Amino acid sequence: MSKSKQVSKNSNVPYAILWALTYIICLLLLKKTSLPPALGLFLALLPIATFALFIVKFSQEVASMDELAIRIYLEAAVIAFALCLLLMMTLGLLDLVIVLKKEDWSYRHLVAYLAIFYFIGLFIAKRKYN
Amino acid sequence: MKNTIKVERAKKDWTQADLAEKIGVSRQTVNSIETGKFIPSTLLALKMANVFGTSVEAIFQLESTD
Repeated sequence: MSKSKQVSKNSNVPYAILWALTYIICLLLLKKTSLPPALGLFLALLPIATFALFIVKFSQEVASMDELAIRIYLEAAVIAFALCLLLMMTLGLLDLVIVLKKEDWSYRHLVAYLAIFYFIGLFIAKRKYN
Repeated sequence: MKNTIKVERAKKDWTQADLAEKIGVSRQTVNSIETGKFIPSTLLALKMANVFGTSVEAIFQLESTD
């Protein structure tokens, strides 16, 4: 077994949870409370730190995977990117003909769609090779 | 591309998991290669040939459609 296999499987999960929790807590605080602008700005940027940590751990885990697993994650990213492009294009065109409500189609809502697209991509890619 | 991995495994009496462990990949990867769903890299093909004690050409053969 090669040296790169030393990163344990799913070692990035705690970091993904940390990032998600940070994001949700900051989102709720920013939405539900009235904060001074400096504190609001700090909370808005705080998830960047936990996201960066997650991405580093995720990259390390992907690098330690075998070539089929890397292919699956790559194909998932490609599918997710294509779906993101489709969503952005469609929303951009729709925005010219109808009024998209900010309460339903803000950047916050798009983040959730992008995450869903990634998991759709992962599901399709895994099925392809199973 | 067709392959003789199943035959080579049978000769050695190895399961997919045994082979996977010997070449440092998951059992799913061995299964995907064996069923032709995934074409391995040169490195992995050489590792496979090495553990079977044969050549890459003996394990993987091109088909007319390739």
